[in-house]
Amino acid sequence: MWRRWGAVAVVAVFLPPLVLLVSGSLHRPGLPPPTTPDLLPDPVTAEGYRLAAELGGLTRATLNSLLVCAIAVPSSVLVASMAGFAMARLPRRVAGAVAALSMVALMVPAVALLVPKFAMFRLMGLTDTLAPLVAPALIATSPLFPLVYYLAFRAVPRELYEACAMEDLTPLRTWWRVGMPLVRPVTAGVGALTFVLTWSNFLDPLVFLYDRELFTLPLALRSLATLDAADFPVFLAGAVLATAPALVVFVVAHRDVRQWRGVR
Amino acid sequence: MMRARALIAAAVLAAAGCGGTPPERAVSLLVFGDPHELAAYRSLEAAYERADPGTDVRLVEAGDRKDLITRLSTSIAGGKPPDLFLMNYRFYGQFAARDAIDPAGPLLASSRQLREQDFYPQAMAAFQFGGKQLCMPQNISSLVVYYNRDLFRKYRVAEPGAGWTWDDMVATATALTRDANGDVVKGVDFDQPGAAPTGPPPVEYGLAVSPELVRLAPFVWSNEGKVFDDATEPSRIALDGPALEALQNFIDLRGRHGVVPTDQEAESQDDEARFAAGTLGMLMSSRRSTTTFRAIDGFDWDVAPLPVYRTPATVLHSDAYCIPRGAPNKTGAWRFVEFALGKGGAEIMAATGRTVPSNKAVAESPSFLDPNAKPRNAKVFLDSIPTIRAAPTLSTWPEIEDVANDILENALYYNQPPAEVARRLDEQTAPLFARARP
Repeated sequence: MWRRWGAVAVVAVFLPPLVLLVSGSLHRPGLPPPTTPDLLPDPVTAEGYRLAAELGGLTRATLNSLLVCAIAVPSSVLVASMAGFAMARLPRRVAGAVAALSMVALMVPAVALLVPKFAMFRLMGLTDTLAPLVAPALIATSPLFPLVYYLAFRAVPRELYEACAMEDLTPLRTWWRVGMPLVRPVTAGVGALTFVLTWSNFLDPLVFLYDRELFTLPLALRSLATLDAADFPVFLAGAVLATAPALVVFVVAHRDVRQWRGVR
Repeated sequence: MMRARALIAAAVLAAAGCGGTPPERAVSLLVFGDPHELAAYRSLEAAYERADPGTDVRLVEAGDRKDLITRLSTSIAGGKPPDLFLMNYRFYGQFAARDAIDPAGPLLASSRQLREQDFYPQAMAAFQFGGKQLCMPQNISSLVVYYNRDLFRKYRVAEPGAGWTWDDMVATATALTRDANGDVVKGVDFDQPGAAPTGPPPVEYGLAVSPELVRLAPFVWSNEGKVFDDATEPSRIALDGPALEALQNFIDLRGRHGVVPTDQEAESQDDEARFAAGTLGMLMSSRRSTTTFRAIDGFDWDVAPLPVYRTPATVLHSDAYCIPRGAPNKTGAWRFVEFALGKGGAEIMAATGRTVPSNKAVAESPSFLDPNAKPRNAKVFLDSIPTIRAAPTLSTWPEIEDVANDILENALYYNQPPAEVARRLDEQTAPLFARARP
């Protein structure tokens, strides 16, 4: 009962902005913005979407964002899960020290690392390519994700790992064949979070990408945000297009978790 | 097999930097703007590449000024700056003070395409730092009054013109602030203590002006007052008697006269949108608003000079091309500047309507003073040039503006006493002036 009311409260908070976003994107561009929310535009038009694609180069930017996510998200999840599994197999004291270091790394502001990262990628000749956007996947995108996996793998009964050792399973096979299937909901959650972080990454593309053809969706959307007030449907149309994939990933991850719980 | 080898050879050549445009012919230009403005830069880029075949201008586009500064700071600190960037004079001080800009003066002196006297001296002076001409101004805009001619006709109010005074402006704004019945009304902010409704709220306001330091300064100067302790080397904000009078009148626009929108109204609909909706009589803004207002087809509008206290004065809005130190292709960057600021390039940018060209010949030509394009009275922008004054060039100026604007916003919307506002301005910006690099 309480869960249901909780869900209603969450929907009540998050649904109205989404409804206004979609409704606003269907207004005709070029008209003064309404002074009060106007849920049913008259006339309903997709002109904002056409202009968003044309002015913001959203088609190309969406493809770039999808390409980055297609490489970065699976790589990041694999690295995070392997690191978390390794931590879970370490003695408690060592694992605790690694977790503490991860927490320290979490506290470093991204902006503080901007110039060193730029200098590093410049030396490697990788500025103005998509490589700097994919590279964080090699360290699991955020120190938080290996920690989440560490907690998940630590919750697996120790006897199971000992049984795997007795069966002569290598640590790699134990991780893949035994550990990963047991923490599938965590994989769905970490995957969804990594997707959202990578999909909405604005700072790295801003600094590393010069060529408009390489722009990702957040950069393209930023340029639409500077349009005149009368063109607000164009920006909102771009925002709908940028939000939709994140919603799809969330729904898929949610369904995955529910199915897994059903199987159990 | 042959095809595969050719592809490998092409890839190796490209990786070695042997393919495409040779590096000495490529110029990277960092700019910011909305998509329409960026489209104008792309037209400029294409025109330059047509005029000088073999060159390749690579636009590096930022959405807004903050993004541009982030891109520029990181690339300079990381050792790979662009060849050229476009920056407003109020924000280039931090790069000038760090000696991150290669002076344009010597290049201008030896140029066969551009001469110093081709440009308005007010714009040139804004980009001089430490006695050197650092950057080349692209435009010279200033603060003017946009007004809705249909509202003036509807309420039979005289249109503003040269020499009109601050009191004229207040009287005009009062006559244009109307309720739904079309009656003159004073806008009341009910969030203020003691505020009581005196009638229906206004549906049309007479005036809108953003409470910012660069919006207040021209009226202080016009009243022959001082904003800073020293006009050439300011070390603090020090409003004197005439400045406090101008500040009091500025604050009175909301508290006493009620002719500008309240805080809540300004938050719910920005000034440009209110003007475009036809519910605002006058708006103080720079040339940037022109392109937005050219899309208006519901009413007629024009521009007028700022009202005057004692001496005509307005504030400079200008952007310039700057070549950063360490730019890989300085020669190519300067060749592009020569094209962009020459007749052909300046006309392309003038056609967008967004800029007042810094090139005098183009500014005074039909490219800018197009009789078929609004505003009809575009010459106001040129007539204002002799009265233009500039904000100081300081490395911490963007921070000073941010702090001062917050204080002025509270002053306008909460009707604060000018002496108290002046004290806060001085107190809160003093550390920023002290931190400014010489």
